[in-house]
Amino acid sequence: MTEQEKIQYFDKINKQFHFIGKIMTILSIAALLSFSFIAAAAYGVWPSLKGFLAGFANVAVIYYPVAIAEFLIFAPMLGTGGSYLAFLTGNLTNLKIPCAMNARDIAKVETGTPENEIISSLSISASAITTMLIIFAGVLLLTPLRPILEKPELAPAFDNVVAALFGALGLKYFVKQPKIAVVPLIMMTLLCILVPSMISQTSILIIPAGLLALGIGYILFKKEKINV
Amino acid sequence: MYLDQANGFVLYLVVGVILFFILCMCTVFMIKSYRAGIAIGMDKKILKRAITSSITFTAVPSISILLGVLALSGSLGIPLSWLRLSVIGALQYELNVAEIAATAIGLGGLKASEMNMQAFSTISLVMTAGILGGPLCCIFFSKKYMKKVQKNPKQIQTGKPSYSTVAVTAMFIGLCSAYIASYIGTFVSTGDFIPLLTALCAAAVMAVFEYFTVVKKQVWLDNFSVATSMLLAMAAAVLISGIGR
Repeated sequence: MTEQEKIQYFDKINKQFHFIGKIMTILSIAALLSFSFIAAAAYGVWPSLKGFLAGFANVAVIYYPVAIAEFLIFAPMLGTGGSYLAFLTGNLTNLKIPCAMNARDIAKVETGTPENEIISSLSISASAITTMLIIFAGVLLLTPLRPILEKPELAPAFDNVVAALFGALGLKYFVKQPKIAVVPLIMMTLLCILVPSMISQTSILIIPAGLLALGIGYILFKKEKINV
Repeated sequence: MYLDQANGFVLYLVVGVILFFILCMCTVFMIKSYRAGIAIGMDKKILKRAITSSITFTAVPSISILLGVLALSGSLGIPLSWLRLSVIGALQYELNVAEIAATAIGLGGLKASEMNMQAFSTISLVMTAGILGGPLCCIFFSKKYMKKVQKNPKQIQTGKPSYSTVAVTAMFIGLCSAYIASYIGTFVSTGDFIPLLTALCAAAVMAVFEYFTVVKKQVWLDNFSVATSMLLAMAAAVLISGIGR
């Protein structure tokens, strides 16, 4: 298959991904929303409209801008199929993105290529299926597992699972491009020390950190100061 | 009474059906991607490696997500917690939003003792509606946006490195910086050093893996680097906390 044929073939596949992705997302949203109404109807009650509007206003003002920023930043990394899957199956920044990046590194494919899209889509679907099956097994075993997993001695391990994840990935990426890493790391550290309320707002903190790293990366790339 | 209803059989059934549908859709994407990879001439071994490495990568974090199900189930019941953490959500979001929704409907917080099924259904509706930003962006903007950002054929043919490769690494550096900075901030402001030390332990183990995969060319080790680094760092967190007690 020539490069041109490959691109044409992949355009066709991409259109199918968009079609299936849209149908899947619309049906899943309807199903997820229906849960609340079925739960209410099963017990003869109805969700409170006033309560919903008040709660939604508080939540949307924080999480919709974050969702839009996440979409703009992560969709190009994930590709078409990967985006639909990742945004629907959740655990985006703590699992799906690192997982897709790890698979991309292992497969040695370049961002924006059909190969990257395929690897990303394979990785996220495999990750989502694994999570669903493990949680399903866990829910089945919930009663006997509960005493073991809830042992206070094990609590620090699970309380710090995200720290373990970002420690490992941080080393990997900081070593890869140390020139990009220095300023965001120092700036974000200063921000967290000077404004301690930001410590618990990592979902907001990743936006300036990401934009800063992107800007530095762009300048260094244009000046050919980094190895790609 | 409330928790019996929130753990009712009918809710398990609804969640089972929803998750089965999403599982099927993920399988469809996986099969289509695999076939497309073969069709454009990708090596089967690489495709299989992408799948197996993603499974091993996901296994450990999934156990922590399962613990999130346990944590949420005390106030929201098992079926809703199972649904939210299997798809669409993340523990940090769920806890935060459920708390916001609970206070917005006049409860003192997310406490099972104050809950009833109307509060439950309202909170679950807020949790779902509040997280739909990403999926809605996919439905309405993905096609146009992806067309804009996807690399043009000319660049693929020349093989010239593009900014997108740097951008992805840079974005990830930003993400890691934010989290690691928050651990340093936690240590400085509260004296709690466990998250920072856990991150450092994971980084140290990862450095050993990087040495063997990059310098010694033992590429196969890369499949296990993240999961092993995390497990050892989590074990270190247990040990350090035990010593500190």
